[in-house]
Amino acid sequence: MEPLTTTTLTTVFSDVLGDLAFMFSDGDEIDPSPATLWLETTIGYKGPATGMLKLWCPSEFGVLLAANLLGIDPEDDDAESKAPDAVREFMNIVCGQFVTAVHGTESVFDLTIPATRTLDQMPDFLGSDDEWASTLTVEGHCVQLTYTPGESADHP
Amino acid sequence: MGHSILIVDDSTVIRQMVKKTMDIAGLDVGDVYEAGNGIEALATLSDHPVAVMLVDINMPTMNGIQLLTRMKKNDRLQHIPIVIVSTEGSKERIKELERIGIFGYLRKPFQPEQLRDVLAPLLGVKENGTADDDDADDGLF
Repeated sequence: MEPLTTTTLTTVFSDVLGDLAFMFSDGDEIDPSPATLWLETTIGYKGPATGMLKLWCPSEFGVLLAANLLGIDPEDDDAESKAPDAVREFMNIVCGQFVTAVHGTESVFDLTIPATRTLDQMPDFLGSDDEWASTLTVEGHCVQLTYTPGESADHP
Repeated sequence: MGHSILIVDDSTVIRQMVKKTMDIAGLDVGDVYEAGNGIEALATLSDHPVAVMLVDINMPTMNGIQLLTRMKKNDRLQHIPIVIVSTEGSKERIKELERIGIFGYLRKPFQPEQLRDVLAPLLGVKENGTADDDDADDGLF
């Protein structure tokens, strides 16, 4: 059974995606595309509890996200060059919303600076039976979101 | 001539979005300066007087709280109104920021009308600004 925190993360992810970028989960799960570059973005939080979020998404998802945030065409060069920045900031907002949704608003948590790296092959997605992973389809792109409680990203 | 403003955020995407949102909101903004962290913000402030600052918290090199603390110790900078624009939602963190002395706080993601509401008393709204709530709902942020 999917733990409550993973359900919360999926909800927060979808809400922020809709509110910020007018992008929506499709519901139907599709196989991840093996032919594209992928972006891996991590962000952690520290405080009375620690945790880390990781997003694997095709680079095309990042381009679409950047285009929607900036109100430009996905074919615009700016959309491609700003895709990693867009995904980092998106995950920064998701993490901030997730922390208060799970841990409340009374305690102070410090978020790490989100980091993105490009993967030249498809990441090894966790299976649907993994309790901390959530696989979604957004605008035709398969993405996987992972929550690791008790761990924080090792970057500052 | 509108008031000059400094946007401090490590994300270029967010800085562009905020600029666009201010335009959608019909705010009377003049020059818009940008900085990617607190150090860059202080360098910008040494060359350009600004009327208002929008500042993120979570930034590398010098974060928003460190920047705010530094500015409050500086006679020339301590009176510049600062609006924090951050994803963080801790009540204690917001109280801490209020103790240091912020003008306002906006949590990301926000709507154009929320930005307009917090900045309008500082910047004013253009005479031909037409951003009523219905128009603002069409905004990106």
